[in-house]
Amino acid sequence: VSCGMAGEEGFFLEEKRFKQYCEDFVKHSQQIGDGWEWRTSKDLGDGYLSKTHFQVRNRHIPPDLKEKNNDNTEPTLFAHVEEPLDDSQAAGVGGTEEVVRYEYHVLYSSSYQVPVLYFRACFLDGRPLTLDEIWGSVHASYQARLQEGPWDTITQQEHPILGQPFFVLHPCRTNEFISAVLGGSQKHPRHTNYIILWLSTVGPVVGLNLPLSYAKLAPEQSTNTD
Amino acid sequence: MTDDKDVLRDVWFGRIPTCFTLYQDEITEREAEPYYLLLPRISYLTLVTDKVKKHFQKVMRQEEVSEIWFEYEGTPLKWHYPIGLLFDLHASNTALPWSITVHFKNFPEKDLLHCHSKDVIEAHFMACIKEADALKHKSQVINEMQKKDHKQLWMGLQNDKFEQFWAINRKLMEYPPEDNGFRYIPFRIYQATTERPFIQKLFRPIAAGGQLHTLGDLLKDVCPSTITPEDGEQKTQVMIHGIEPMLETPIQWLSEHMSYPDNFLHISIIPRPTD
Repeated sequence: VSCGMAGEEGFFLEEKRFKQYCEDFVKHSQQIGDGWEWRTSKDLGDGYLSKTHFQVRNRHIPPDLKEKNNDNTEPTLFAHVEEPLDDSQAAGVGGTEEVVRYEYHVLYSSSYQVPVLYFRACFLDGRPLTLDEIWGSVHASYQARLQEGPWDTITQQEHPILGQPFFVLHPCRTNEFISAVLGGSQKHPRHTNYIILWLSTVGPVVGLNLPLSYAKLAPEQSTNTD
Repeated sequence: MTDDKDVLRDVWFGRIPTCFTLYQDEITEREAEPYYLLLPRISYLTLVTDKVKKHFQKVMRQEEVSEIWFEYEGTPLKWHYPIGLLFDLHASNTALPWSITVHFKNFPEKDLLHCHSKDVIEAHFMACIKEADALKHKSQVINEMQKKDHKQLWMGLQNDKFEQFWAINRKLMEYPPEDNGFRYIPFRIYQATTERPFIQKLFRPIAAGGQLHTLGDLLKDVCPSTITPEDGEQKTQVMIHGIEPMLETPIQWLSEHMSYPDNFLHISIIPRPTD
């Protein structure tokens, strides 16, 4: 994977500003009950955004596919459950329904000066999903885009604060597409919450969706709250 | 200058005598003899243990074998850390050979990354090099290189070819003549006692007034508690490649000469032995 950094140009996110955007983000999340929280590490005072939610993963097994096919990921339907789990919502497709616990963390990379999305998923019995299973959960249209897009690598890496294996969206080309959206370093994006912009773009790739109300969030409104 | 190049060679050719023993609960058809190997400090466990795997698989049934993993005194060993770092951090003040236990079952999903092929190691190694260059040169040097240069770094490591590796790596150790060092120093500080796996921060090798920052300056800035002596006694050791560099050593020099092939300084803070 070639890692194209946008050199001197392009918009880099400073850590202080990252923390501020996260603070505003969490405030809005609390207002709409979206479940995000900020976790501070006890030793160094740095931290990260965190959200855990449960999703029903329908494993639809078409009759013509072999039971165990090592080469291809099985096609899966991916239902996001907003309300508490209701059996009637999951039914109707056939195949097994499994509840998957997804955990998303947003950390700051001081090396690349961008936010990074870490995530992991496990079944209720604790068995973690493999990378193949996670890929199987990604909608087909995103998979196609991912092949060509700049954020096309998901690898397993060690969480820099917790020290446990997580999956990570490769961060080094984040600056490329953020700059493209924000129009380069000339425009100082005072009126855009970088975290919302970035997360709304990369999140859906891995099953993380932001309700539209985040788009209404403007820094002036939230940083001046009492 | 000859002395400095010698340091590069000494770092590259460092070895740790290791004894691999199969975990007693693994099911074997015959008794498994331990396997002895000199491990390169600068490499990665899953890159240099093919012979270990073959040796133990010979006495096991095929169905009992899944992904290999290693453990030292109950601690799963992270294959994505360089071997020398693992040894310094966990076993540096114990008797040689280093005794590592080999497992083929019950992979510890919560502790270890999977390593299904050499490609995973290569990807990890290259990602570290790229991150190091982002810190040193805003990625300019690594991005100017061709794919074949990247490949040469990896092949040099994989095949233990010092000259092949450094033919390319020397470019990653250069800096503009108007500067006196890198932009930031790629380093990570490890302590076995913390939940946090390592500390990594932005740190400049040159102070505002132009003086060279030292290893001591780095430690004071990043983890001050570790080097402040309590009761005048230094309770910890600061170890890189099995030695304790003087705290007065310029960090720029350390970065150029004692980084691992991934271009990071991996520094261990360990308890000082009380004998």
